[in-house]
Amino acid sequence: MSDYSQLYDAIVNGDHRLAAEVTKSALEANTDPSELIAKYMIPAMNEVGNRFACNEYFVPELLIAARAMKASLELLTPLLAAGGVQRVGRVVIGTVKGDLHDIGKNLVASMLEGAGFEVIDLGVDVPPDKFVDTAREKEGTIVAMSALLTTTMVNMKAVVDRLQSAGLRDKVRVMVGGAPLTPQFAEQIGADGYSENATEAVALARRLVSEFATTA
Amino acid sequence: MAIQGLTMIGESINDSVPSTKAMFEAGDIPGILELARMQDAGGATYIDVNVGARSPEFMADLVVQVQGVTTKALSIDTPDPAIARAGLSAFQPDRAAGKAPVLNSITPAREEMWELYAVRRFKPILLATELLEAGKLVPARTADQTYQAAKDLVKAARTHYPGIPNDDLIIDPGIAPIAGDTEGNLNRLLAAIEKIYNDPDLAGVHMSVGLSNFTVMLPSKRKDGTPVKSALESAFLTIAMPLGLDMIIGSVKRNYQLLPDDHPAMQCLRAVLQADGFDALMQVRHFYAG
Repeated sequence: MSDYSQLYDAIVNGDHRLAAEVTKSALEANTDPSELIAKYMIPAMNEVGNRFACNEYFVPELLIAARAMKASLELLTPLLAAGGVQRVGRVVIGTVKGDLHDIGKNLVASMLEGAGFEVIDLGVDVPPDKFVDTAREKEGTIVAMSALLTTTMVNMKAVVDRLQSAGLRDKVRVMVGGAPLTPQFAEQIGADGYSENATEAVALARRLVSEFATTA
Repeated sequence: MAIQGLTMIGESINDSVPSTKAMFEAGDIPGILELARMQDAGGATYIDVNVGARSPEFMADLVVQVQGVTTKALSIDTPDPAIARAGLSAFQPDRAAGKAPVLNSITPAREEMWELYAVRRFKPILLATELLEAGKLVPARTADQTYQAAKDLVKAARTHYPGIPNDDLIIDPGIAPIAGDTEGNLNRLLAAIEKIYNDPDLAGVHMSVGLSNFTVMLPSKRKDGTPVKSALESAFLTIAMPLGLDMIIGSVKRNYQLLPDDHPAMQCLRAVLQADGFDALMQVRHFYAG
């Protein structure tokens, strides 16, 4: 395989035009899409995450890098699907019932997409059954919920309870986040994890997927 | 903080501020009361009190204790009507030179909050970030929707408190973090402020934003070591105050000031206002990363 480290640089530097350009020429040279992802793209997003963790990068850089990653992934996804290659994981994300705040939720959705997850964004004010019905479509789905208000975060529990009564609780993983939440709250309502920001959410989603792979 | 014509609600006693949350969790009430004293001395007109998901009794008790160390009026900050009721009931206007407290905040989805006028007179922050359209609650994504949400909330206030003066009303048109603004939110906000300000029916109504939200998720310093947040927040005030903004929920520790037009933070915001989508983020990034 030729060297496409330019793709790595394009993603780290958030250059979406260059990312798409390099991806196109790699595909024209019959490069294996999954190798591009494994060798350049995932390491690039990891590097972006590292830079964020040590305060070298901030949210604008994350978003710009995620856009570059997405520009490249959009070219690869049809080929991956045709070749039967699975995505990293499937996430159904939304802001819970009664809550219209979506800045944090959108950020997490962008970063998850950038990390190669299939993301189904249900939007805001999402009724519990909508989460449950969308999660039901595929085993191993992660349900990711956001809330900004102390009065709406309680609606997360309704989703966990509905998953339970629908017999889906063991078939999905639940992660939660939002300003008023704490790890203790996540535990109390029976979620599988809490994350404080968008990069932690990606790490958490990866961990939940790998846990699922080993326990399912 | 001393900008002529700008009223500040001091933001520090808030469960979503990590250092304050730690005090709440440790039961460090003396530490919380020190925040009240510090904000009083630092020029806040109101002291915000937000206890997160704690009980109504906790809110009531804290209101009494905070009023023990400051004569400033309080801003009872919660989306929960029971906690709001407890805070407003415990508040003693006599201890605040007869001034009414602020209630932060009322939205179209929080109708029960209006019943609290039975407890006492308060100045509501009317959160114009969501509105009812055809019976469904939707986020205000355009300046027109924000303006409509503000009009609806003012109408509701007048229904529940006939004769309420405009001076008692505070509209919050909703500020979003510039670190993630790829949808022209800053343009929407400024246009909404202008529309509200120019409506004769709303003359004298106050307008407030939670200013610290504007710069969350950004670094504290630019490459050359100068501050990012106070500069961008000051630039926002410089642009928004002439349009009608006259209040903020903010920090007494921030050095807010009106900036000259050639200040880099002013140039940054002007560039953001001209940019579309991700180009706006690139302008913000250019400001701090050079």
